[in-house]
Amino acid sequence: MDTLSLLLQGFGVALQPINLMWALLGSLLGTAIGILPGIGPALTIALLLPITVSVGPVSAFIMFAGVLYGAMYGGSTTAILINTPGEAGSMMTALEGSKMARAGRGAAALATAAIGSFIAGTIATMALTFAAPAVAELAFIFTPADYFALTVMAFTSVAVVMGASRVRGFISLFLGLMLGVIGIDAMTGQPRMTFGVPDLLDGVELTVVLVSVFAVGEILYVASRYRHQEEEIIPIKGRAFMTRDEWRRSWKPWIRGTAIGFPMGAIPGGGSELPTMLSFTLEKNLSKHKEEFGHGAIEGVAGPEAANNAAAAGILVPLLTLGLPTSATAAILLVAFQNYGLQPGPFLFTSNPELVWGLIASLYVGNCMLLVLNLPLVGVWVRLLYIPKPQLYAGILIFAMVGIWGVSGSVFELALMAGLGIVSYVMRVYGFPIAPLLIGMILVPLAENQLRTALAAGQGRFSVLFDSPIALTFYVVAALFLLVPWVLAKLQAGSQATQD
Amino acid sequence: MHKPASITTRLQQPWWLGVAVILLGSVCLFASSSLTLSARYSAIGPGMFVALVGVGLLLLGVLLLLQMARGTAFDDDERALDPGMDKGPFFTVVAAAIVPSLTMERLGLPITAAIAFMLVAHALGSRRGALDIIVGFTLGSACWLLFSWLGLQLGGFLPLAGV
Repeated sequence: MDTLSLLLQGFGVALQPINLMWALLGSLLGTAIGILPGIGPALTIALLLPITVSVGPVSAFIMFAGVLYGAMYGGSTTAILINTPGEAGSMMTALEGSKMARAGRGAAALATAAIGSFIAGTIATMALTFAAPAVAELAFIFTPADYFALTVMAFTSVAVVMGASRVRGFISLFLGLMLGVIGIDAMTGQPRMTFGVPDLLDGVELTVVLVSVFAVGEILYVASRYRHQEEEIIPIKGRAFMTRDEWRRSWKPWIRGTAIGFPMGAIPGGGSELPTMLSFTLEKNLSKHKEEFGHGAIEGVAGPEAANNAAAAGILVPLLTLGLPTSATAAILLVAFQNYGLQPGPFLFTSNPELVWGLIASLYVGNCMLLVLNLPLVGVWVRLLYIPKPQLYAGILIFAMVGIWGVSGSVFELALMAGLGIVSYVMRVYGFPIAPLLIGMILVPLAENQLRTALAAGQGRFSVLFDSPIALTFYVVAALFLLVPWVLAKLQAGSQATQD
Repeated sequence: MHKPASITTRLQQPWWLGVAVILLGSVCLFASSSLTLSARYSAIGPGMFVALVGVGLLLLGVLLLLQMARGTAFDDDERALDPGMDKGPFFTVVAAAIVPSLTMERLGLPITAAIAFMLVAHALGSRRGALDIIVGFTLGSACWLLFSWLGLQLGGFLPLAGV
């Protein structure tokens, strides 16, 4: 069956009234959490995981997709109106967007962000529609050695790219690997790292780690740094929509932002921050109104907003086709698949076409819903910013403990929530990135299993790991991720020394 | 209030972080000592990954300490901008995070939620304790009713009252 027929079948699933309801709920939730600073899609999906166990996988993933896209739309509102990114991908939007709002052009900034998000989201979803089946076909030829090499590449790239320091990135990754090996070994049945604690025999529950790291760690950080600060909310001023000149200045940044965001989202470590920064820098260099940058240039909002929405679709390509999470949000979506006993990868397209194509079709539907929800109703959403922070964060802790208690019913895991929350706080204070920890923990069973299978097939011969050109390519890319930043830093230091 | 350090000032290094990473690595190596490192069928046994993680953490801990000794581990300017930790609110939230493990089984979700809600709200500046307890209790009760209906096992509503 060709891609278009499968997509049409997907629309048949996504347009069922019950799934439309879940898509609307996800879009509403996503926009709300995008608007509220400090609460991102990763935390929301983590909190929703335990609650959605009684909902079918198709409906749950349609809702999660709405949350993912909605957060990207909502994040821009906060960035523009209170100069605080609602989520990490809106960081660059805050730079020019808040200046536009202060200059009385807030409505135009919000409009270019919403329309850009819609256009980028739609184009990127089209790219996902056609790229995903092709990558999935390719993944069929992967051997266990190739998969192991792929996980090595993912580990290296995520540890190197995310965060300010490679050493801290790798420490975070190895902490994740350590958490991932706790429990009974799947091949031999031997308990590992359990130290006689029966609660650890099943391993550390991923949901507990996700909720602790994102919810408890965040609340601890905010409480220790908050000091009852008041945020100034800039009222929305200006024409409701954009002028002809603003349209003319926005459409090219939307397209360029999409072209940067989609492939960057698909690369391990790309996330949504890096493409928005690249898009911002590109727009600043290409703009005919360079003098406006720093004072409210519309290109500085249009490009990054398109880039972060396109990146959100990009992360779904490696996730759905290879089972490879490239960001913290993707890692949580992978856990959601595993909660339903599903393993994303090439076989998901053949074993669960209803889920995969229903999810992809729901992205088109959700995008349309989000445009309607965000453009005319932005004034309603802004009211969320008036929710008092103390009660908001207190509510988040309640949802976190309900999730953990509901999933495990274990007092030990509630205590673990507090412990991991403190670890996550320390990591945040000292700049250890969180994503490598999650990706390490989630991918370690896959890495270990594929390594053992490959070695068993090669009768214990380690050279079997380097036999295939695909595996070799992944190792070379991993080495490049490791060495290129070091070489660039050396070259930069050398040229600086010559100049001095 | 913490004063921002000048660019030339070297901030105190968190040596304990490097030591903690080394300790974790040692724990992994100790745990791997009771597991077989090799296996006939696939060359590596269940202890191999644990040992690798242990060695990795040990090396990374040493690297972090070396970086701290050279003053390159952290960006001092960035750390100087950090307003620093407010201990009172921090430990109040730690208490709120610990409360569920102590009270959930005996007191049930609504009362646990009321205590935790009040503590977090207080840590973040709310001074309406009674109202926060009521809001927390209401939220906990609503969650218990909704998620029990959805099929989650959340224990008794008020175990002390036998409900």
